[in-house]
Amino acid sequence: MRSAAPDSSVGAASANPPPDPDAASAAPLRAVGLVRTFGAQRAVDGVSFTLESGRFLSLFGPNGAGKSTLLRLLSGALRPTAGELRLGPELLRTREPGWQHRIGVLSHQTFLYGHLTARENLRFFGDLYDLDDLEERIDAGLAAVDLVARGDDQVRTYSRGMRQRLALARTLLHDPDVVLLDEPFTGLDAHASAVLKGVLEALRDGRRTVVMVTHNLTEGLEMADIAAIQVRGRLAYWESAEGLEAAGFPGLYRETVEASA
Amino acid sequence: MYKRTGWIGTATALLGVALSVLVLWMVFFWVPTEANQGVIQRIFYMHVPAAWVAFMAFGIVAFASAVYLWLGDERADMAAVAAAEGGIIFTGIVLLTGPLWGKIAWGTYWTWEPRLTLTLLLFFIYVGYFMVRAATENPEKGKRFAAVVGIVGALDIPLIHVSVLWFRSLHPEPVVLKAEGPTLDPDMLTTLLTGFLAFTVLFVGVLMLRYGLERAERELNLRQVTG
Amino acid sequence: MTYLRQLRAVIRKDLLQELRTKQRLATMGGFAVLVGVLFNYSIDQAIVAAQDIASGLIWMTLVFAGVMGVGRTFELEAEDGAFQGVLLSPIPRDALYLGKVVSNFVLVYLVVLLVLAVFGVFFQLDYGNHPFMLLAVLAVGALGFVALATLFGAVSSGTALGETLLPILVFPLLVPMVVYGASGTSRLLAGRPIAEVEGNLRMLAAFALVALFAGAGLFRFVVED
Repeated sequence: MRSAAPDSSVGAASANPPPDPDAASAAPLRAVGLVRTFGAQRAVDGVSFTLESGRFLSLFGPNGAGKSTLLRLLSGALRPTAGELRLGPELLRTREPGWQHRIGVLSHQTFLYGHLTARENLRFFGDLYDLDDLEERIDAGLAAVDLVARGDDQVRTYSRGMRQRLALARTLLHDPDVVLLDEPFTGLDAHASAVLKGVLEALRDGRRTVVMVTHNLTEGLEMADIAAIQVRGRLAYWESAEGLEAAGFPGLYRETVEASA
Repeated sequence: MYKRTGWIGTATALLGVALSVLVLWMVFFWVPTEANQGVIQRIFYMHVPAAWVAFMAFGIVAFASAVYLWLGDERADMAAVAAAEGGIIFTGIVLLTGPLWGKIAWGTYWTWEPRLTLTLLLFFIYVGYFMVRAATENPEKGKRFAAVVGIVGALDIPLIHVSVLWFRSLHPEPVVLKAEGPTLDPDMLTTLLTGFLAFTVLFVGVLMLRYGLERAERELNLRQVTG
Repeated sequence: MTYLRQLRAVIRKDLLQELRTKQRLATMGGFAVLVGVLFNYSIDQAIVAAQDIASGLIWMTLVFAGVMGVGRTFELEAEDGAFQGVLLSPIPRDALYLGKVVSNFVLVYLVVLLVLAVFGVFFQLDYGNHPFMLLAVLAVGALGFVALATLFGAVSSGTALGETLLPILVFPLLVPMVVYGASGTSRLLAGRPIAEVEGNLRMLAAFALVALFAGAGLFRFVVED
């Protein structure tokens, strides 16, 4: 079964011109009744939300809650079984270049080729996105993650932290409006996670919408504008993080999970 | 919906069984013995209709697979599996009866007779079809993989057919007797046509039953998880 | 333009990777040479001349070595999730497939050339007749092979069985290629006129075209979720 989304409702989406950047960045990310099943299992079970542009959403939840599936739906890698997803007026059509250009994904896997150098990796992905001024972008990207000096070394010689920084440069190379982070802190040492945090902070320029899936309550909450908890495929909790007490959140998290399980 | 299909399917399958019994009776008691080949030629009335069904079934598999990939309709995939399971059984019948006949008619169990070779390859394509399904953890992926096997198989079969015919033209076999006589006796033709009818009806009946079963199974799975 | 750039990026990336690791060329090439050695000891040359069955051997080596090499292409992509990153990018799936076909073809054809060289020396084969026709027959045959093996390599790497499933899926489909390829090659090795091989070349081309179109059209159903 394909998406039940009424494709005809948004005629403008198919033309999909890259509109002027201000209008695009003001676009909220909106999910309506997202469902994704694997065989008989409902990994994402009716998720709806609206995330204003420029906000940082941290999504928590126990193992198997469907967080990663939700993220893959947002990325367009996975086709929803039902429901629809919009960025502003633009309807997501899985694997349409229009959507892929606006989404960047950083996972705990780096999506990098170990036997290529950092520059070769970025050049490869930049070509796939058909980016203009690619060499300038690569220079700027490497500078932003502090890897200029190692740019011509093969990635397999990198430490875990360096790889993850390069992965971040790859994620941002095409300047996406929405950045999706899947457990980005997994396996990082203290230094690497501090660097990653620094770059993630820089993402919060009010223009980029960020969704981060994580186990780590402290790190997740630290950066979040909004905190959400997913349990058994559904969003059981969705609140602005401003009023949240960091100390009280673990208790709240446990209660929410137990109440919905 | 299921009940209705189930009833019609059962009736069709029973009709197919009845017709098959009729064919057996015709083969053993009614049709005259072919002069050149003798009794063994009677296997031909099972062999040829089975081969027809085996290839027709694969046609259905390929068509349903294409519909499944195109529209993503679950029913097309259920039809494809049902047809493939029926098809592989009839392919098995062809591969069993062919060598039995060959042993007596040609003096050897196996020759690279083009149609027999093609059926053997069809059998392996069917095997691949079921293996990708079974070996995939995500059932949706397994369905798509199997559909790809079905479609590419169907596109390749004409080429395989041409190539094995051509191959044989290079290596003439020591065939003593031709498989078919120049003219078929009317009673033989009647028997053969009844055989076609019987196996086709039997296949369609089994296809419908199997489709209904597949559907019920998937609904049950769905209910267990969501309920 | 975009399409060509994406296509070129995939080809360049694959070849660069192979250039650095030499994994697949080394295994395929080593395999091919060793097949030649074992083959030498597997026949009694007093009864059958190696030259008489060399063309069949060349094609079987191509198929086995090719399955080995092409089967690895998606395992290499799986390294640290790189292929997911590729699938998240806007590259059309047929461009991705065709890029992989080209890079796999380059590898397989290099192995074909190695096989011709080594077997030529081992078994005193005479390529003098129509060497370019021989190269063309092997090129078109290898292209059809790679087109199918790349598609089904993606299928088998998506299953729990992995690469071991690949031969079971492709061997039945390769019969036309082996029939026309091996017979064309034996005719050329036996010094028959080129006209006797043109039909084979046409059929190999038809096979390659069908495989390429099927692969380009169906690849997206294999790699997407």
